[in-house]
Amino acid sequence: MSFDEEMKNALKTFTLESLELLQDMEEHLLNLEDDEAPAERINAIFRAAHTIKGSSGVFGLTHIVAFTHVVESVLDELRGGRIGVGSELVAALLPCCDHITLLVRNVVDGRTEEDAALTAEGKQLLDELNAFTQAAPADKAVTEFKCPREQLQKLENDSVKDGNWHLSLRFGADSFRDGMDPLSFVSYLRTLGDIVQLVTICQALPPADEMDPETCYLGFEIELKSSAGKAEIEGVFEFVRESSIIRILPYGSGIGEFIELIDELPENLSYLGEILVAAGAITRHELDDALHHQQNKMQTAREQGNAEAEAAVPALGEILVKYQAVSEPVLNAALEKQKQVKEKKNQEAQSIRVDAERLDKLIDLIGELVIAGAGVNLRSRLFADEGLKEMTGETMRLIEEVRDGALQLRMVPIGTTFSRFQRVVRDVSKELGKGIDLIVTGGDTEVDKSVVEKIGDPLMHLVRNAMDHGIETADVRLACGKPARGSLTLKAYHSSGSIVIEVSDDGGGLNRERILAKAVERGLIQAHDVLSDHEVYALIFEPGFSTAQTVSNLSGRGVGMDVVKRNVTALRGNIEVDSRLGAGTTMRIHLPLTLAIIDGFLVGVGKATFVIPLDRVIECVALPEDAGEREYMDLRGEVLPLVWLSQVFDVESHQQRRHNVVVVEHAGNKAGFVVDRLQGEFQTVIKPLGKLFTYIKGVAGSTILGDGKVALIVDVPTLFEFCERANRHAEHALPAPSHAS
Amino acid sequence: MSKTILVVDDAASIRQVVGIALKGAGYNVIEAVDGKDGLSKLNGEKVHLIISDVNMPNMDGITFVRELKQLPAYKFTPVIMLTTESQEAKKQEGQLAGAKAWVVKPFQPQQMLAAVSKLVMP
Repeated sequence: MSFDEEMKNALKTFTLESLELLQDMEEHLLNLEDDEAPAERINAIFRAAHTIKGSSGVFGLTHIVAFTHVVESVLDELRGGRIGVGSELVAALLPCCDHITLLVRNVVDGRTEEDAALTAEGKQLLDELNAFTQAAPADKAVTEFKCPREQLQKLENDSVKDGNWHLSLRFGADSFRDGMDPLSFVSYLRTLGDIVQLVTICQALPPADEMDPETCYLGFEIELKSSAGKAEIEGVFEFVRESSIIRILPYGSGIGEFIELIDELPENLSYLGEILVAAGAITRHELDDALHHQQNKMQTAREQGNAEAEAAVPALGEILVKYQAVSEPVLNAALEKQKQVKEKKNQEAQSIRVDAERLDKLIDLIGELVIAGAGVNLRSRLFADEGLKEMTGETMRLIEEVRDGALQLRMVPIGTTFSRFQRVVRDVSKELGKGIDLIVTGGDTEVDKSVVEKIGDPLMHLVRNAMDHGIETADVRLACGKPARGSLTLKAYHSSGSIVIEVSDDGGGLNRERILAKAVERGLIQAHDVLSDHEVYALIFEPGFSTAQTVSNLSGRGVGMDVVKRNVTALRGNIEVDSRLGAGTTMRIHLPLTLAIIDGFLVGVGKATFVIPLDRVIECVALPEDAGEREYMDLRGEVLPLVWLSQVFDVESHQQRRHNVVVVEHAGNKAGFVVDRLQGEFQTVIKPLGKLFTYIKGVAGSTILGDGKVALIVDVPTLFEFCERANRHAEHALPAPSHAS
Repeated sequence: MSKTILVVDDAASIRQVVGIALKGAGYNVIEAVDGKDGLSKLNGEKVHLIISDVNMPNMDGITFVRELKQLPAYKFTPVIMLTTESQEAKKQEGQLAGAKAWVVKPFQPQQMLAAVSKLVMP
């Protein structure tokens, strides 16, 4: 579309919009007198005139601007309560409304030029209208100060011909007392340009006997022809800015100029205010004032806890238009610009979208590369070729870097998952009638995409559970001396090669006794069993376990926590619970950073090789020779329960002089895995076990070693369970792997 | 008749620079070295504008303005405070005392002249 066509289209929009507004205006005018509270109607009428004036300026329809301006001024007086609503006024305004309609219709018919006959007609109408504004305050005011409405109108007519500035000045009452002489400011204005017209506004003058000679009642409407920018003109009134009302508006072509300027701005500004300041349409002071105003409103609304008022806080643009810092067409141009910048930014975002499948394929290939690399490395050791060894060493290093880089590709911040919960917490807390705040920290913590996808559901369970059972109702909380609003915290952070996600609440905490009672009732433990806090809390993850006294539709049916645990375990993670009665509960989920390749610790038992995830390994010690086949050993004064891998996996152990113990940590507990050989770190590409082996316990997966052999990856949490259960029931052997789940 | 301006500053160089700029523009200039000196130099004399520094010995600018505003003859005389960028609090204090205009130091003579002529034409 050519520029002309676009302008034609825009003009059409203008006429349609204006005719609609005029219709509204007429309707409001007709109902004005009958309205008991006409303020809203007056505002609507004023806004209509204001909008028409503003947009006709953009199209250079100066005769409409001129006429509408006078109507608008009268309406502004009406709005300010300086003149009253009366049938005579309405009778004068209605023909004006018709006249504007006529002018707009002419535009529709393609007559955009001024029509002398119509202008004369308009002049008559305006004269009638001006009678109202002159009559009202001038009656009592000192008579030699005439309020020259006609002059004002003339001023408008002249001004719109060139891109002049219109200054509306209302000096503060204390101006004289402050030593600020309005006259000297006006004189100074001359240094910036020519004062084309100056009208003294003295409507604020009280009757002579009430007048205080020290008080300033003066205002000026000044037409300034100047090449100076808005900020420069505003600078003139720097010293009276705080106490006076200073409005500086461009007229006629000036508006168009601003719009052009805005269009030409570089596209690096994304804030509306900055765009307007950069174009010079508003000054920084005006922006600051408007922002301040907005903030105040927001704060008041917040303090009153009034969400509706908070939502109704006007947008920055509205405020600027209201205080006449900027005209609507300019604002709209700036808004359009802002939209463009945003769109552009989105396009230029420094990222590319890649099909997840391709990434997965790449990771798979890198897995193979790691295995093949390990094979090459192994072979190279068979030759006494230093050069070969060096090169394979370098290759292995590069493979490691490529591996890390590739895994990094799949890392995404967990924040997106967290942000979903804002809504959930809001909705659920409303449903439960509890006031709950969600606090999210560590949203930028990165984790493998596959983990992020699968952690959402378990987190949802935990969050709902915490809100339903964890956080008490407001009165219970108050009775306990806690703030009425509960808080729920979602936190993510990295910790020694794994990611930790915490869901904590400041609610009532877990009730140890109730859990124990329930566990005994369900036959999960014996009444005389002695359990640590951790063991007790772990019971809530048993299938069909719920201590909630009432069942709600959110949680409490006993499904959930076991599912959570199963999901987390499926991600090779584990979950632990910290709780203090009366103070709250923290659910801590440890997850591996990635599900594809891990750093493993290779150990040998008999002929078999196992991999223990390196992030679980704390240290390696030698098993004291006198230990025999015991189930615990003394680790620097600590009792360390032992798990003999040869027994667990039924592998024939070499008759060795000494065994080694790998000290492993899980959920705050330590255990020692007894093995024959320690073989060191190994980059482990996790290969899932076949379907047939899904139910085998104690094995998390398999991997392929450099020499092509298969090694099993030890499932540390399950082995810990075996260990605990074995202790509790004083059984020596573990149950053979079975299909029972 | 040209307008008279009182310049109060303990730094002679500032008084000099301001003096040159103002005289060049056609104002009469009276100089004073501190607030006390300023009050005595005024002595009922007709001045159109007062420019005062804040930090001065004997009597600082804020006190000077406060005392000045007590005198009927100078109640309406505009005062320009000389403040520095870091003295936002001083600026406000000065405004409360009655000095509604200000010029931030360091300033170019031209800036001073602009501020002055906004308040008093030569």
